[in-house]
Amino acid sequence: MGVLESLELGFAVAMTWQNLAYCFLGVTVGMVVGVLPGIGHLAAISLLMPLTFHVPATAALVMLAGIYYGAQYGGSIASILLNLPGTASSAVICLDGYPMTQKGRAGPALLITTIASFIGSLLSIIVLIFMAPPLAQLALSFHSADYFSMMVLGLVAAGSISQGKPLIGLASVLIGLLIGLVGIDVNSGAMRMTFGVPELFNGVSIIVIAMALFGVVEVISSIGKTNGRAKDNTKITLRGLMPNRQEWRESFWPMMRGSAVGTGVGILPGTGGGSMAAFMSYAVEKRTSKTPEKFGKGAIAGIAGPESANNAAAQSAFIPTLTLGIPGDAIMALMLGALMIHGIAPGPRVITENPDLFWGLVVSFLIGNFMLLILNIPLIQFWVKILQIPYRFLFPAIVLLICVGVYSLSRSTVDVMLVAGFSAVGYLLIKLGFEAAPLLLGFILGPMLEENMRRSLLLSRGDFATFVERPISAVFLGWAAVLLIWVIKGELKRKPATAAPQDV
Amino acid sequence: MNILQSKDFLSGVAAIIIGVFVAIVTAGYGFGSPRQMGPGFFPFSLGVMLTMIGILIALGALRSHEKLPHLNVWPYFVIPLAILTFALVMPRLGFGPAGVATVMLAGVAEPATRKLHLLMLALVLVPSVWLLFALGLGVQAPFFDWGF
Repeated sequence: MGVLESLELGFAVAMTWQNLAYCFLGVTVGMVVGVLPGIGHLAAISLLMPLTFHVPATAALVMLAGIYYGAQYGGSIASILLNLPGTASSAVICLDGYPMTQKGRAGPALLITTIASFIGSLLSIIVLIFMAPPLAQLALSFHSADYFSMMVLGLVAAGSISQGKPLIGLASVLIGLLIGLVGIDVNSGAMRMTFGVPELFNGVSIIVIAMALFGVVEVISSIGKTNGRAKDNTKITLRGLMPNRQEWRESFWPMMRGSAVGTGVGILPGTGGGSMAAFMSYAVEKRTSKTPEKFGKGAIAGIAGPESANNAAAQSAFIPTLTLGIPGDAIMALMLGALMIHGIAPGPRVITENPDLFWGLVVSFLIGNFMLLILNIPLIQFWVKILQIPYRFLFPAIVLLICVGVYSLSRSTVDVMLVAGFSAVGYLLIKLGFEAAPLLLGFILGPMLEENMRRSLLLSRGDFATFVERPISAVFLGWAAVLLIWVIKGELKRKPATAAPQDV
Repeated sequence: MNILQSKDFLSGVAAIIIGVFVAIVTAGYGFGSPRQMGPGFFPFSLGVMLTMIGILIALGALRSHEKLPHLNVWPYFVIPLAILTFALVMPRLGFGPAGVATVMLAGVAEPATRKLHLLMLALVLVPSVWLLFALGLGVQAPFFDWGF
């Protein structure tokens, strides 16, 4: 199927009323949670996941993806106007966005970020359209040993390139893998780690884990910190939005470079969504700039580049997720979870066996980004108003929605109790430096990792050499080993006093 | 500084506890052989790996002196309790009472909020969420259930 025919199919799927409506719902919710500090896009996606049981797989993914890239847009608004990063990836935008507001250039900063987001997403989607099918084709020739090694690389990367300490990141991955194994072993029929609780026989639902670790833990940590009542003295008129000629000129190349950096980083496993892409792009812009001293004082290149980068990364992260079945970060893991809920096995066959889903989703990205472009500018005053909802009224509502959402999964109060339990343990672990994102990745890949290992070892008659004899597998494992060595070396070298505590 | 106040040491200990626990639980599942992996092979190996990483983390803590972060103690108790309350009240009294109890209890996590405001919030929120889920999505959950 050629690219044009595929896109035609995609438009036919994405332009149905139902999918348009879910796309709109997704990007709107995404915008709102992106603007609001104290509720992240991960929490929002987890909250809306129970809804996906009631809609077809395509509509579900269209909506969840919309929340993701919608939040990227929304996050920058709070960063620019109030110096409050709504999402982790928009923390960079604060560096130069807020100084622009102080200089009275908030309007142009907002318009430039909107356009930068759109361009970053668009360029990344084009790469996705051309890159995904051949990559999936290549992945079809992978054997179980190659898959095993690829997952190992993905997990090692997710654990060690995390924000915190690499060893604890790896421990988080292992805990996730173990939780993923709870339930009946498909091969032997043995009950594993179910402790006689019938509700655990089918395993722990990804929604329970996500709600506990992203929803409840975030609520617990945010209480008392975000007062929500933000002072807003900036008046933004439509005319005040227009950047001047110099600002346009200074932001064009940063957008292009940012899109390239973001697309590249987004494809890599374990890079944690847009935040790493945004930081890398900021560094690139500062280095290539002729006036690096302006950075941090309101350089427009410092918002145009990172904003393109984090949106590009948000889109290109779908490349490995949809073609290889290997999620790069927690959000992609949730996307895969939604696919599996609908009985679609993730992997290279998704594109060929469910072309309507894949191309419909891709085209919905285009439509969704266009909706955001239109939604964003005229509604800026409205988004600023939303920032003023006090958090103390918001979080009881979030807690209620978590309870109802989890209950609706299988009408079981045991699932609700599990959320309470996982969040109680999870909060302590996260405070100790464990990380939720690598844990979720491990959780979703656990059963697949075991299955591919079992299959490879069965074929090789129990010989572990099979993992290094196959060239593809050997390359993946080689990279994983390099990463591990790098992590251990860093651990040995670390000076005692330099570990700066970071309270997030 | 007391080693028990070191963040890294405690996270190492946490990993060791989970690892050892898993290894003990899964040791009886049948290890099999690499050629025919039994149900215990994979989880047991992971449990052992987790324990070893935990030891490495705890040893590394002997050199670093990072203190425990501040815990949000009150919300940490109240929020899971609110969720648990929902799970316990829902099957006995129905969605309405469970929802109101959950919203009120969760809201208490921020002591400055006035109870009357919380009650008003609950009275608006609970029926609308019920309408959304019960009527909109067809999740069967009676609003009141006095039947016991």
